[in-house]
Amino acid sequence: MTLIDTIISVWTIHQITLRTIQHLYMFSIALIISIVIGVALAILVYSNPKLANLWFNVLNVIEMIPELALFIFLLPILGLGEKPTIAACVLYSILPIMRNSYTGLAHVSNEYIEIAKAIGLTKNEILLKIRLPMALPLISSGIRVAVVYIMGIATLGGLIAAGGLGVPLQAGIYRYDIPTIIVAALWVGTLGVFFDFIAWIIENRLARRFNPW
Amino acid sequence: MVALSPLFDAILQHLTLVFTSLAIGICLATPLAIFSVFYKRVSYVVLTTINMAQSIPSFALVAIIVPLAGIGFVPGIVAIVLGSIVPIVKNMYVGLAKTDTALIDTGKGMGLTDLQIVRYVRLPLAYPAIFAGLKFSAIIANGIAVLTAIIGSGGLGRIIFEGLSSFNINKTLSGAIPAILIALSLDMIFSIAEKKLKTKSVY
Repeated sequence: MTLIDTIISVWTIHQITLRTIQHLYMFSIALIISIVIGVALAILVYSNPKLANLWFNVLNVIEMIPELALFIFLLPILGLGEKPTIAACVLYSILPIMRNSYTGLAHVSNEYIEIAKAIGLTKNEILLKIRLPMALPLISSGIRVAVVYIMGIATLGGLIAAGGLGVPLQAGIYRYDIPTIIVAALWVGTLGVFFDFIAWIIENRLARRFNPW
Repeated sequence: MVALSPLFDAILQHLTLVFTSLAIGICLATPLAIFSVFYKRVSYVVLTTINMAQSIPSFALVAIIVPLAGIGFVPGIVAIVLGSIVPIVKNMYVGLAKTDTALIDTGKGMGLTDLQIVRYVRLPLAYPAIFAGLKFSAIIANGIAVLTAIIGSGGLGRIIFEGLSSFNINKTLSGAIPAILIALSLDMIFSIAEKKLKTKSVY
């Protein structure tokens, strides 16, 4: 009984329900923005490998920057709170989405493209009706990587006053409050694994549906 | 302005954190990967655990270390190892397991034992994959090393956190810029090593 009591008291004192909602709010906004930007960039560069490489090099450098250091650079521009957190999430997760979408769009087997041309589809129709559907499994695996990244960075947002589940973690560490740390960390970990699992299911479904063989 | 000598101390401490945990990570990952190559069941358990561990946010990992190991330098290292070991094990396993079966059969035909095959056939062919994993792991380790300052591991993260709590932009930048430069140079070093080993190990 005491265990459950402790969990409930930690949960209410640190308003973990509210924090979870804030967390998922930042998470979903960042995910949607990065999917839109990532896929759009991939569509812009899929026929031009050189341009694509340029983009990947730039994004690779951003990817290497430690998350907190990226926050520091965003703070003077965007201030404290949700905005820099979402911006950092987006900056980090564009790369996996864009790289996978690019690979998927650019490496559709030539036969399909030739057949499509032969039946008179224009370049845009080929993109919409052939390249994009066949790239969906790869795009979704890129999104799965992005889901993991965004969960991690949104948690760090607690350090720069963005709310979310980083707040109870930080409070627990600063006050050396063991029950809070354990409850919050396990909850965050469970959420991370859970969303990764959902993304994995979606990826598998799409791979089965759009498998060309 | 920020005094320079504490900054150098912090950089040194940061590098110690990153490289110690990388070394520990390699020591732990090698037996795991080799066992997973030989035993299907071990590989299943290891890969499932690792895939799950990968989706846990690093901040949660750092926080959960506090009740388990306390605060300070050593707990920081534990957190960094836990966070950054995943790509090492994964790439090592994939590199070792996906060796061309013809080459392994040749090795067996010459009378090599399983371990000798690992040492002389599988491992050299897996170098590029292993180094790609190490590079990724080093960059993750650098990121978590900044974060572990919150549990008292020291390093550049401490300067960043001190700057954040006193809202001193110059101070935060003086912590963040070296951290970024370290990340870039780690990437460069491992890329060069990867390239050198690639040309050597092509048969």
